[in-house]
Amino acid sequence: MLVRSIRQNDLEALLQLARSTGVGVTTLPVNEERLSKRIAGSLAAQASAPNPADSSFVFVMEDEERAGHVAGICGVEGAVGLTEPWYNYRVGTAVHSSREIGIYRRLDTLFLTNDLTGAAELCSLFLQAEYRRDNNGSLLSKSRFLFMAEFPERFSRRVIAEMRGVSDETGLSPFWESLGRHFFKMDFSEADYLSGIGQKSFIAELMPQHPVYTAFLSEAARAVIGQVHANTRPALAMLEGEGFRYNGYVDIFDAGPTIECALGDIRAVRDSQLLTAVPAETTEGRNWLVSNRRLDDFRVCLAQTEPLPNGLPLKRELIDKLGLEPGSSVRAVPLSARR
Amino acid sequence: MYVLRPTRPADLSNIEALAHASPTGVTSLPADHDTLHRKIQASNDSIAAEVSFHGEESYFFTLESVSDGSLVGVSGIVASAGFNEPFYSYRNEAFVHASPGLSIHNRIHALSLCHDLTGNTLLSSFYIDKALHFSRWSDLLSRARLLFIAQWPERFAESIVSEMIGVTDQQGSSAFWDAVGRVFFGIDYQEAELHCGVKGRKFIAELMPQHPLYVPLLSDDAQAVMGQVGEDARLPYDILTREGFETENYIDIFDGGPTLYATTRAIRTISQSQLATVAVGRAGPHAYLIATTRLHDFRATVAEAEHRDGHIVLTAEVIAALGLAAGETVRIAPL
Repeated sequence: MLVRSIRQNDLEALLQLARSTGVGVTTLPVNEERLSKRIAGSLAAQASAPNPADSSFVFVMEDEERAGHVAGICGVEGAVGLTEPWYNYRVGTAVHSSREIGIYRRLDTLFLTNDLTGAAELCSLFLQAEYRRDNNGSLLSKSRFLFMAEFPERFSRRVIAEMRGVSDETGLSPFWESLGRHFFKMDFSEADYLSGIGQKSFIAELMPQHPVYTAFLSEAARAVIGQVHANTRPALAMLEGEGFRYNGYVDIFDAGPTIECALGDIRAVRDSQLLTAVPAETTEGRNWLVSNRRLDDFRVCLAQTEPLPNGLPLKRELIDKLGLEPGSSVRAVPLSARR
Repeated sequence: MYVLRPTRPADLSNIEALAHASPTGVTSLPADHDTLHRKIQASNDSIAAEVSFHGEESYFFTLESVSDGSLVGVSGIVASAGFNEPFYSYRNEAFVHASPGLSIHNRIHALSLCHDLTGNTLLSSFYIDKALHFSRWSDLLSRARLLFIAQWPERFAESIVSEMIGVTDQQGSSAFWDAVGRVFFGIDYQEAELHCGVKGRKFIAELMPQHPLYVPLLSDDAQAVMGQVGEDARLPYDILTREGFETENYIDIFDGGPTLYATTRAIRTISQSQLATVAVGRAGPHAYLIATTRLHDFRATVAEAEHRDGHIVLTAEVIAALGLAAGETVRIAPL
């Protein structure tokens, strides 16, 4: 499996992929115009001077054993909210206390904020179900960290990731039903779609402008604030393993958590190292993410290997797959933290 | 026959008994000895005070049986709501959330804690024995206050409000409280009302929400009783709406009952009241509210009388009950 920069001719494959995501991946809507723009945006970002505001990179995972079938996608934005507002609820605390009558109440509140404006965002992660095995998910998600480690000037220091919140099999979100529906008078999936295709002004027009006490939401809604969808638990655990933490920001639609980490503190960024690709007949060791360090044709593969004093032993076919020559410089990091 | 008069210190134990019988929600009539004592004292002091502009005064009246001297009801006026401690209401206001692009236009109501009604004169503490409900005597107990205001307008504001008790169930709990107040107080409605009546309302500031509450997020039960008058408030509501009081966008922060509002000079009893000279005679054809114009011996009653040529003809019994003599001036209004 190979993760690589997206190309102009990937549009059809991307559309097919979008159709299979279901509700909840707001940055991968089934909308040809929007997806086409994302591809163009990624190509333009490769060509532009380093500036987080212009960074919108998309990568795909292809299966070389199935003639380059596109099995997954991931993206990263250099800085969100600079052209359209970026909304989150911040889960706050209000203490209501009266010493005189002996009452102390602690209440959770939801404040509509643009606090995360300007942060870099990991987005659009999706992998087809039949490929969710053999570390493919980790490869796809973490490949971005090698890219960010390579081109840090293109990303904000604060990196966030929105995790999909809880919804049932029919796409019904308890949080949406208890809060959003009163203000939007539409289904969660519709709001989610509108948000995904960038029509975000409606959020400002329709959302409650005053903080909301969560005590007025249904039990079911309160229970899912900051909680991820069952399918997203592995992704959450993986990012937590990289150093990401929940700091009280949640999605305004489904209340899924937005987690964050400073760029330099992400394990795969911090621990990544530059090594020389050394051809070898056979290699063994832990799983390593290995990237070719290129901006215009970025590629990442997994290799079972361990560095030697003269470089990183890699099979010849893997060096070819990365578009490199023996002796080229690679950026590599163990796929997972040492336990 | 019953006569309304200001309370006296000697009335305390009898009024305490009335207060015990009064329903939860009449926050200004708590069954608390010290509080009632202070209320009576404040009323005495207010009547004795030289007043040129309404301020801290409050007036507390009682309805007394002429035949046996028993007390059957109380009513009060607070000259200026919020003078001594903050006067809170929820203002129910609408926010328009519109998205032209999506053809969505929502009016969302939200309750904001406010002090908007501060400085208005407040009719309060209305309670009367059940046997006299919807009689001329319940009208007297409520409306004699309006004759008092008409006679000494400098003591009162240009608009008057009155809080109506909201809807409670047979156990005395309030759906509005359970959905709203309990969230912030964590205690029962009755307990909160008691704290409020006895300890004053300053703790409200410490406990109540600082942010507006979106009405659609409240339970259906709570929304259904917002601005609704409870069983116990039917009588005062009936009397005051006949006087021209109307509901505004203000509701009680505890039980969601409506706060009624009227411009003082437009209130029926006040606008229709006039001065007349007392004459002795036989009972007349029409019922009148009749009040003395003596601040230090204010009394009022209802009687059949004849009003002609600036005179009001009253029976000797009525004149005696009001402590008057022929030739004195009274303020009257049609019942």
